[in-house]
Amino acid sequence: MKIRTAKYIIRDGIVNIYKNKLMSLASISTVTASLLLFGVFLLIAVNLDYNTRALEQLPQMQVYCDYELDDFQVKQVEEAIKGNGRIAEYTMVTKKEAFEKLKELFEDDPSTLEGYDESFLPVSFIIKLVDATESNEVKAELESINGVDSVECPQKTVDIISRFGYWVKIVSGFLIALLVVISVFIISNTIKLTVFARRKEISIMKYIGATDWFIRWPFVVEGVIIGLVGALIAFALTSYGYGALEVKFNEELARSSLGFIKLIKASQINFAIVVLYAFLGGTVGAIGSVISMRKYLKV
Amino acid sequence: MVEFRNVTKRYDNGTLALQNVNIKIDKGEFVFIIGPSGSGKSTLIKLILKEEDPTEGEVYVNGYEVSALDRYEIPYLRRSLGVVFQDFRLLPNKTVYENVAFAMQITEALPKEIRRQVPMALALVGLSKKANVYPSQLSGGEQQRVALARALVNNPSLLVADEPTGNLDPETSMEIMRLLCEINHRGTTVIVATHEKTIVDAFKKRVIAIDKGIVVRDQQKGLYKDEDKNCQIYN
Repeated sequence: MKIRTAKYIIRDGIVNIYKNKLMSLASISTVTASLLLFGVFLLIAVNLDYNTRALEQLPQMQVYCDYELDDFQVKQVEEAIKGNGRIAEYTMVTKKEAFEKLKELFEDDPSTLEGYDESFLPVSFIIKLVDATESNEVKAELESINGVDSVECPQKTVDIISRFGYWVKIVSGFLIALLVVISVFIISNTIKLTVFARRKEISIMKYIGATDWFIRWPFVVEGVIIGLVGALIAFALTSYGYGALEVKFNEELARSSLGFIKLIKASQINFAIVVLYAFLGGTVGAIGSVISMRKYLKV
Repeated sequence: MVEFRNVTKRYDNGTLALQNVNIKIDKGEFVFIIGPSGSGKSTLIKLILKEEDPTEGEVYVNGYEVSALDRYEIPYLRRSLGVVFQDFRLLPNKTVYENVAFAMQITEALPKEIRRQVPMALALVGLSKKANVYPSQLSGGEQQRVALARALVNNPSLLVADEPTGNLDPETSMEIMRLLCEINHRGTTVIVATHEKTIVDAFKKRVIAIDKGIVVRDQQKGLYKDEDKNCQIYN
């Protein structure tokens, strides 16, 4: 293809969008609507994934010492934990750190903690196991250490949540795939309407000797531009809507007892979304154009 | 230039449109193809443009064996000839100038060439002043002249017109026909399919009459009705 032909084709595609304003608008809205729907499911899936991953990072066990232990005794407990081969890693939470956390928790109502200091809190250890299935044995071992008051094991909850997350991921993956197929169908149908409205034009071009690709290219350009514009609008709406939702939601969640759940930050996924939308919109537009033209090129 | 050898065309629904047609049209000729509606005129034109393929026999146009062309070669055949239709078939979204230029753009002609040729073609049909107007703003006769300019802009050696005056009033029809004659005088072979008696009688050119798919008359300087006893009859 010569450069002047490419220029002509691109210009013609753009001019056609403008001259068929109503159809272009309809197509753009379809792309936007489909991508928005797609985006909603995508965001749900991404957030679930993000949160189950975060939950899996939760401590597998927390060991609380008696709160009156002195530094030396705490050291002994630490040595015992260090010496346990079934423990992959551990972190110590000092009295001071524990109190800071408590203060954070009662941020809105500091008066609750008035008169208390860190001394009433125990030192604790957050522990990760080498193999999560051994939690019962390890728990028993840890409880037998001198100076250990109690061992908490939130592992079971995490298990349930991550199993739940796994199924939600599968279901939303399936829904996203379904939505992509439906979008292609709707969009190529809309483009089919554009093509149908111009079938006479296409046949005229064929009669005066235009090759199939010469006729097809402007439509492909048109489809791609429509797809990209639709994607851009969908992206603007998604990023604005999600951005607002994310801020609000995270504020609310942090205040509630569900503080460990967090929505992924809009700024973290904006780029991925814009690329994905543009790719989907553009490809669907191009494929839609080619598919819906086939019938009318046979003159 | 154009040759039909033992061409028979039977449509899928069983209609026998052409039956053993033998025609030879030489370079520079002006030929009327006449006959009532449904006689097979349009099928003949469609075979020249390879809109349809013959069931039997061969069709040759401008050195192409049309009946044996592959799908991807069709555009090149169509570029080698100019076509004019009863319903003009102009692109509604393009101006007069753009419509004519389009026929050159599809051949990937140089912009310089396009800027030179299009005004010339428009001048030939007397529409230089309407270059920037859209087809819907033109009269039927003017639209047909745009179609003619478009057909001629690539300097084809053959011009095919299918009922070019079918949608026009008698006066405008004559104008268009005179234009076709002038084009013919410049050396272009012209084939006109029509069922309008006045036109055929006025110009006295070669007449090929078709009836029920059979060539019933092929006569030089003929009239619409067969009054010459010495006419050549095929089959």
